[in-house]
Amino acid sequence: MLEACVLATILCGFFGIIFKKNLVMKIISMDIMSTGVIAYYVLIASRDGLYTPIVTTKEVAYADPVPQAVILTAIVIGFSIQALMLVCVMKLAKNNPTLEASVIEENNTP
Amino acid sequence: MTNMTISLVSIAWISLPFFIGFVVYLLPQFARWLALAIAVLSAAYAVQIFVLGSFLDIQLLDNFGVTLLIDRLSAWFILTNALVTTAVIFYCWQTAKTSFFYMQLVILHGSVNATFICADFISLYVALEVISIAAFLLITYSRSDRRIWVGLRYLFVSNTVMLFYLIGAVLVYKANNSFAYQGLLGSPPEAIALIFLGLLAKGGIFVSGLWLPLTHSESETPVSAMLSGVVVKAGVFPLIRCALLLEGIEPTVRMFGVATALLGVSYAMFERDTKRTLAFSTISQLGFVLAAPAVGGFYAFTHGLAKSSLFLIAGTLPSRNFRELRDRGIELKMWLALIIASLSICGFPLVAGFGAKVWTIKNLLPWQAIAMNIATVGTAITFAKFIFLSGQKSPQTSPPTPLLEGEGSNKSKTKVQSGFWWAIAILLVGLIVANGVYDQAYTLENLVKSLVKIAVGWLVYLLILRKSVIKLPRAIEQFEHLIGIMSLVLILVFWMVQIQLNASSYF
Repeated sequence: MLEACVLATILCGFFGIIFKKNLVMKIISMDIMSTGVIAYYVLIASRDGLYTPIVTTKEVAYADPVPQAVILTAIVIGFSIQALMLVCVMKLAKNNPTLEASVIEENNTP
Repeated sequence: MTNMTISLVSIAWISLPFFIGFVVYLLPQFARWLALAIAVLSAAYAVQIFVLGSFLDIQLLDNFGVTLLIDRLSAWFILTNALVTTAVIFYCWQTAKTSFFYMQLVILHGSVNATFICADFISLYVALEVISIAAFLLITYSRSDRRIWVGLRYLFVSNTVMLFYLIGAVLVYKANNSFAYQGLLGSPPEAIALIFLGLLAKGGIFVSGLWLPLTHSESETPVSAMLSGVVVKAGVFPLIRCALLLEGIEPTVRMFGVATALLGVSYAMFERDTKRTLAFSTISQLGFVLAAPAVGGFYAFTHGLAKSSLFLIAGTLPSRNFRELRDRGIELKMWLALIIASLSICGFPLVAGFGAKVWTIKNLLPWQAIAMNIATVGTAITFAKFIFLSGQKSPQTSPPTPLLEGEGSNKSKTKVQSGFWWAIAILLVGLIVANGVYDQAYTLENLVKSLVKIAVGWLVYLLILRKSVIKLPRAIEQFEHLIGIMSLVLILVFWMVQIQLNASSYF
C-alpha cells in the first residue's frame, strides 16, 4: 500500500514534467518526483524494523541505516541542482516573462 | 611499489582535482597552470597503470563503503580524459577565460575520472551528478539566453534520469544488501532497466541520447570538445564495466551498441551543419564502443581524441554550413588537420582509428557484423563531407556571414591563436602514436577491407548524397519528447532483460 503511494508520487512528478507548460511548474514536478524517490529509500530502509539503529539493552527490530545515509547525499545533490535551475529560470524570465517552456524552446533552438 | 602505496596514490589522485578545483578559484593567477598540472598528473597516472599493469580493487571503509576498481580498461578512459583536458586548456590559454571556467574544468575532469574507477552504484551516482553540475556551468559560461536554455535542458534531462537510476540502485540494494556492480545480476529486471535507463541517457545512447546533438552543437567550442570527447563516456564506461563483469547483461549492451551506431550515423549523414554532424557522429561512435565491450577502451580513446580535435577545428572554421564552407574554401593547414582526424574516425590505415576499428570488428558477434559494417560505411559517408571540403591556400575574403553560434564566440573567429595549434598537435600526435598499440591490425586483408568500406562510402557521398537536400525532422529533440522517450526506453530495456533472464533460465 505504502509502496503504491510512493510510486504514484514518482509517476505524478514524472507526468508533471511532461505535461506542465510553465518552467517553474516543471521544476516543482521534478522536486515531487525526487520526494517520491526519497520516500522510497526510507520505505526500503524500514522494511525490517522502525527503530533507530542505536545499541540499547532492549531487543528491537532496527531500521536499515545504509539507504538513509545514501539518500542524504542524494537530497543535497537534488537541492543544489534545483537551486541552479531556479537561477536559470530567473535569468530566462527577463526575456520570457511568461516562462512557457515551448516558447523559450522555440526562441532558443536554431 | 607495494599495493598499499598504489592505493594511497590512487586515492590522492582522485581527490586532488576537487581540492585543486577550489584552490584555482582562490588563486586566479595560477588557474591555467594548476588546471594543466591536474591534467598532466592524470596522464601520468594512466601511464603508470599501463606500465605496472596493476589491477586494484579497493574497498574503503567497511562493507558499505566506496569500492574502486582500477585496471587497463579504466586506464584508457583516464588517458583520454587527460589528453582531451590538456588540449582544451591549451585551446583556452590565450582566451580571456576566468578562473571560474578553469575551476569547473578541473572539477569536471576529476568527476569524470571518478566514474572511470568506481565500482558501486552510489559512488557512480555522486560522480555523475557532479559531472552534470560542472558540465552545466561550463555550458552556460557565456550567460546568453540560448546557452542557458541548452544548459537547463541538459540539467533537467540528466537529473530526471538520475532519479530513475536512484530507484534502480535501491532495488539492487534491496536484493543484495550491497550497491556493488556485481549485485546487478541478482536483482529483479526492473532494477536493471532503471539503472540502464540512467546510464543510457547520460551516455547519449540510442533514442534516450537525443538530447546530445543540441547540447554538444550549441555549446562553446572547447566545451563541446570536452563534452563529446570524454563526458559522454562517463555514462558509457559503467555499461561496459557491467557488461564485462556480468555475462548475462552483455547481449543487451551489445544490442544497444548496434542500434545506436545505426541511429547516429543515419542522422549524421543527412545533417548539413558541421557541429551537429559531429554530435550525431558521437552518438554512432559510442555505439561502436558498446558493440564490443571487451575492446571498448581503445576505441573510446581514439574516438575521444579525434572527436575533440574535430570539434576544436569546426569551431575555428569560418562557417558551420557545409555548402558555404565548400564555396569559400578553407585554409590548407586547417584542412590537413581536419582530414587526419576525420580519417581516424573512418578507420583509415596509418591513424589509430584503423587499429581500433579492426579490433572492434574482430570482437563482434556474428549477428552484429553486418549492421556494424553498414555503420562503418555510413561513418565514411558522414566524414566525406569534411574530407571533400577542398583545401585552398588563401581563402577569399568575403564579408563575414552571420554565424549560427551564439554571441561571444565571434571574437575568437577572427584569428587562429597558437594555442589552437598546440591543442590540435597534442590530439593528432596522440592519434598517430597510438597507432602502434594494435599493430597486428596491419594485414593485407584488413587493409583491403577497410579501404573498400571507405571507398564505398565516399562514392555514395560523391554520387548521391552531395546533391541531396533531405532534411530530417527535429521534433524528437523537443524537450517534452526527450522526457517522454525515457518511459519508452524504460519499458524496452525491461522487456529485453526479462526475455534474456527467461531464456537463460531455460537452458
